[in-house]
Amino acid sequence: MSIGGRNRANAAGRLSVLVGVLSVPTFVGVWELIARSRIVNAVLFPPPSTVAVAVLDWIHSGQFFEDLSASLFRVTAGFLIGTAGGIMLGVLTGQFRLVSSLLSPLFHILRPIPPIAFVPIVILWFGLSEAGKLFLVVWGVFFTVWLATHIGVQKVDRGLIRAAQMLGTPRRQMLSEIVLLGALPYIVVGLRTAVSISFYTLVAAELAGAFAGIVYRIEIAQQNMQTGQVMGGLAALGLLSFIADRSFAAIAERAVWWR
Amino acid sequence: MMHNPLRPPPPLRLVDAAPAPSSATPQAIIRVEDLSIVFDVRRGQVIAVDRVSLAVMSGEFVSLVGPSGCGKSTLLNAMAGLERPFEGQVMVAGEPMLAPRPDIGMVFQQPHLFPWKSVRRNIAHGPRALGKSKAEALRTADDLIEMIGLTKFANAYPHTLSGGMQQRVAIARALANQPRVLLMDEPFGALDAQTRAVMQDNLLELRDRINATIVFVTHDIDEAILLSDRVLIMSAGPGRILRDLSVGLPRPRSSAILTDPAYLALKRDCLDLIRTEGRKAFEQMETVT
Ligand SMILES: Nc1ncnc2c1ncn2[C@@H]1O[C@H](COP(=O)(O)OP(=O)(O)O)[C@@H](O)[C@H]1O
Ligand SMILES: [Mg+2]
Repeated sequence: MSIGGRNRANAAGRLSVLVGVLSVPTFVGVWELIARSRIVNAVLFPPPSTVAVAVLDWIHSGQFFEDLSASLFRVTAGFLIGTAGGIMLGVLTGQFRLVSSLLSPLFHILRPIPPIAFVPIVILWFGLSEAGKLFLVVWGVFFTVWLATHIGVQKVDRGLIRAAQMLGTPRRQMLSEIVLLGALPYIVVGLRTAVSISFYTLVAAELAGAFAGIVYRIEIAQQNMQTGQVMGGLAALGLLSFIADRSFAAIAERAVWWR
Repeated sequence: MMHNPLRPPPPLRLVDAAPAPSSATPQAIIRVEDLSIVFDVRRGQVIAVDRVSLAVMSGEFVSLVGPSGCGKSTLLNAMAGLERPFEGQVMVAGEPMLAPRPDIGMVFQQPHLFPWKSVRRNIAHGPRALGKSKAEALRTADDLIEMIGLTKFANAYPHTLSGGMQQRVAIARALANQPRVLLMDEPFGALDAQTRAVMQDNLLELRDRINATIVFVTHDIDEAILLSDRVLIMSAGPGRILRDLSVGLPRPRSSAILTDPAYLALKRDCLDLIRTEGRKAFEQMETVT
């Protein structure tokens, strides 16, 4: 490439970085202008400055951390329980024909039902207790992780299994090392999907009735016509799931450590 | 070529210092008796191995040669305990083979190394699985790594190695359990010609240092004659043993034997048989399709 060409490419690169940096502030600025210009109803469509004030109030009142920890607990505990169960049963159904014949048909029927559809029956079973909310998140996470593990286990290279057999690998090590690690690249993909599913079921769980939580706060604010607070809650939820997704991606890259 | 010339070769913990088996009455370590293996396929059954009988003496190097699809791998897998007999039986060291056994090692055409383990830990896998301490398993691994000349790559992961290096690791991994029998299924079949020649030399050298009986599947007749004491030629599928040729060429061998008249006569014999069989196999395919 000629020097002039490289300069042009550099200039284009710098421009796109600049535009990238200005993207969000520009958007916020335009929003502020429109909201203040009275073209739209400022109660339904408050300017970012109002949203910021609402968020600061939320933090100062101490409720923010209460809501955050309630939501984080539900997402994390639900994710961990659902993942543990999904991996365990995925290894069993993927490896043993009989277990698969017993469970797979059932799982394939239940899996496509959107977890939100279970809200009414979860309320009947668990009322507004914490267990019901966990149940919904676990339910959503479990099937995703189970399917990814089941498929991953079946795709483990038969050659690896034969090689391990020839070396005298005991049955337990065969499952816990050869099969599990052989399936790990598939499992990790399933886990990443499960991260977003856990947030999506969290929304359903908290809308169904709760006493704390970010989505619960959004709903309360909506009932009080505190639109700024609603938008602040949405922003907090977006930020939270963004951080979760990014940190999971970073972990996932290291999880398959031999690549 | 395999170790640093400035250093003496490592002491071999791998070999029982026993003398070569006395030549008085050689013992058959592998006995295949009237073995048939049948696979169920969508439309009926395929006979992969058809009433094969053979014996391999302790310490012998035997090659199985035949057209592809004739049942060489199936026969070898039966010796490994990876395939069950449909009829007949396979006895190794006096015991019927019904499942894999750690005193029988296998090297496949693909290295099938555990991608999540370093070279060292791949080789240590077998001894660990058999309950050896971690330190002892790693010591065995390190000796073998030196023997295959990969000391610099001890901590490398398999995908960073060339095909030839990976296959050397696979051989070392199979040797780590000190098998009495080493089964090799076209181990150099996926390598380029140059690497393959080097690997053949390595194997000849290795063979003098280990104490295993070797059964070697290949479709390369030069390779079979160069390496073996005996070459078994199989018919086009369903596999039967057509001819049992002793390779009387002296050891140690080198590429010099490629011009030896005895070698050429043997090779001509083999090629004639294989050509006829290859043609049969081809015609069988034509009639099937
Ligand atoms: N698992 C299997 N299922 C069905 N047919 C098989 C299976 N393995 C091998 N065969 C058939 O058995 C015959 C012998 O195969 P194989 O032992 O792999 O031959 P080779 O190693 O000599 O090329 C072939 O016709 C092959 O299609
Ligand atoms: Mg084969």
